[in-house]
Amino acid sequence: MKWCCIGLLPLFLIACQANSNGQEESPKVAVVISTLNNPWFVVLAESAAENAHSLGYEAKIFDSQNNPAIESDNFENLIASGYDAILFNPTDADGSIGNILKAKAAGVPVFCMDREVNSDDAATSQILSDNYSGCVEIGVKFVKALEGQGKYVELLGLVGDNNTWARSGGFHSVVDVFPDLQMVAQQSADFDRNKALEVLETILQAQPDIKAVFCGNDAMAMGAFQALQAAGKSDQVKVFGFDGAADVIEKIAEGKIVATGMQYPKVMAKTAAGYADEYFKGRRDFPQRVPVEVELVDADNVKEYLQ
Amino acid sequence: MKKIYKYGILVITFAFLGYNSVYFKKLSEIQSQDKVEIDYNAYADSLYYKGMFESNHAVELSDLLSAIRSDPEHAFTEFGNRLGIGNSAYFLVKCQGTISAMHSDGFQITMVNGEIIDINTKYIFGNALRDASGLVKLTDFKTNSEFNRVSEALNTLIRTTILPPVLEQLNNGEPVRIIGAMKLNKKELDNPDLEITPSQIIPE
Repeated sequence: MKWCCIGLLPLFLIACQANSNGQEESPKVAVVISTLNNPWFVVLAESAAENAHSLGYEAKIFDSQNNPAIESDNFENLIASGYDAILFNPTDADGSIGNILKAKAAGVPVFCMDREVNSDDAATSQILSDNYSGCVEIGVKFVKALEGQGKYVELLGLVGDNNTWARSGGFHSVVDVFPDLQMVAQQSADFDRNKALEVLETILQAQPDIKAVFCGNDAMAMGAFQALQAAGKSDQVKVFGFDGAADVIEKIAEGKIVATGMQYPKVMAKTAAGYADEYFKGRRDFPQRVPVEVELVDADNVKEYLQ
Repeated sequence: MKKIYKYGILVITFAFLGYNSVYFKKLSEIQSQDKVEIDYNAYADSLYYKGMFESNHAVELSDLLSAIRSDPEHAFTEFGNRLGIGNSAYFLVKCQGTISAMHSDGFQITMVNGEIIDINTKYIFGNALRDASGLVKLTDFKTNSEFNRVSEALNTLIRTTILPPVLEQLNNGEPVRIIGAMKLNKKELDNPDLEITPSQIIPE
């Protein structure tokens, strides 16, 4: 056995030599996404991978299925597989920090996209939608549409996601100042259309006289609209979303949904991939957080956003 | 007999080492040690009275509008403040005019050149004033949530303390001077929405 190993050693050295003589391998970029079950995140993932490809890097998408344990496995696998940078959409604002630190310890830079983690020294940079400002604008639109009074429901996204609370916080920073607006239910529907449908159907049984529903994303806004339609209330209850999904933009144009906040996943993906490229070329000073503007889309300007 | 002493010493040594190698503390204690509570109201007070109130970097609105008509990119860079990536920026502006209409969300003023400006005194929310001031850096705060709480405290101060006594005195036809934030979007410069979120209203 010993002689066999010694015999193989020259072959191994020749193989190593051949590799070093050949072209230097281009860096590999991993795109780790919280979930590919939501079309919005599919756009984010594919844009990130496409941008990395177009910059000359090998890129692969990893789906964490909204599960921090799977995300952790993804990180371990991609670090072991020799990936050189991670374009990352975290599953959890606190729970994902450990994974970022693992990559950092292995010398792999992490660029967060869209979802913020609660640490300002873990990721190399975080490129984030300005959810708070976007939802402040939706909050103002909401108050004006309801003339400052009435009962309403809020459907929250994933409770472990900072975006959920940034959106809710921006919205409530406005709406809570108007005492005649009464929130009769606030429940999580996990950013999921079907769950939103079920949650609102249940709420409507106890609260049939609501005037509006504020949803933390557009998938939930579509689910809420479906529930209202089934209950014959879609003309009386105003729905507000967030994301700028194509189906919600169409509903705004048809006058069925009042407003949404247009996010720019492609801008975030392009910026993250560009930062990874700059990192490979030697840049090290990145802004820790880069907010990306969210634009209010309503009946007044929806034409600009129709595809 | 010697064995008893030997094992006794071993047990005491292990117990001593074991006891001193593990510490239990309440998670809430550790978390509270990590968090330095910021007094946002005091911060907003100082930002307003020592920063915005004394600052003279507000641009004359008529100068800003003519700069935007001639070279928008330069005007946005020179006078605007945009954190991160986006089409819009906040500008700290000042202008004078006569109140030409009062409405539920505020009032309108007509400037000397005939330009009509909306003054929004009801919906003072969001980051308009904080960002237009240019006095607060994103990097001064650990998270976006902390950074946004500065805006909330500043808006509350202006909306509930600074403006109400002045608003009570205002009447249609009276001259006023306004200092405040204006948001302009590069995509809408042909027909910009001329609305100011005021930080100061000074009857003249």
